[in-house]
Amino acid sequence: MWVYEKKLQYPVKIKNCNPRLAKYIITQYGGPDGELAASLRYLSQRYSMPTEVAKATLNDIGTEELVPICYQ
Amino acid sequence: MKDAREKMLKEIQALEFMEIELNLYLNTHPYDQQAFMIFRNTVQQRKMLRDNYERMYGPLTACSSNSFPWPWIESPWPWEA
Repeated sequence: MWVYEKKLQYPVKIKNCNPRLAKYIITQYGGPDGELAASLRYLSQRYSMPTEVAKATLNDIGTEELVPICYQ
Repeated sequence: MKDAREKMLKEIQALEFMEIELNLYLNTHPYDQQAFMIFRNTVQQRKMLRDNYERMYGPLTACSSNSFPWPWIESPWPWEA
């Protein structure tokens, strides 16, 4: 489930406009080795975990990997 | 005014960062009572601070919009600050 918060998780100050850097950063989020893909992997892997610890941890880090979407 | 808002927001961000890290730590150390106490304190502090922030600067989530007219649509959004 998705609940939007009208704030960033971490303070960001953009001092100058840099489209090349922006492209690089957006790839970190949505690219093939990005956080979005990692999130979905963790959230799928949690279904086959045998222990409580593993289920909870994959659930929580899978959630956490989705955070960068709020930087947009 | 803007500086005061940012300062308060930064404190909330710091508390929430602690909460996330303690959450992950407690997943693998569920019997660490000291960590649990720190977690509870952090949550309590964060709730208080968030309530104050929302009273002063407007809702942080759509469902905490409790004034009229609907305040959720007011700027700034995080990418505009």
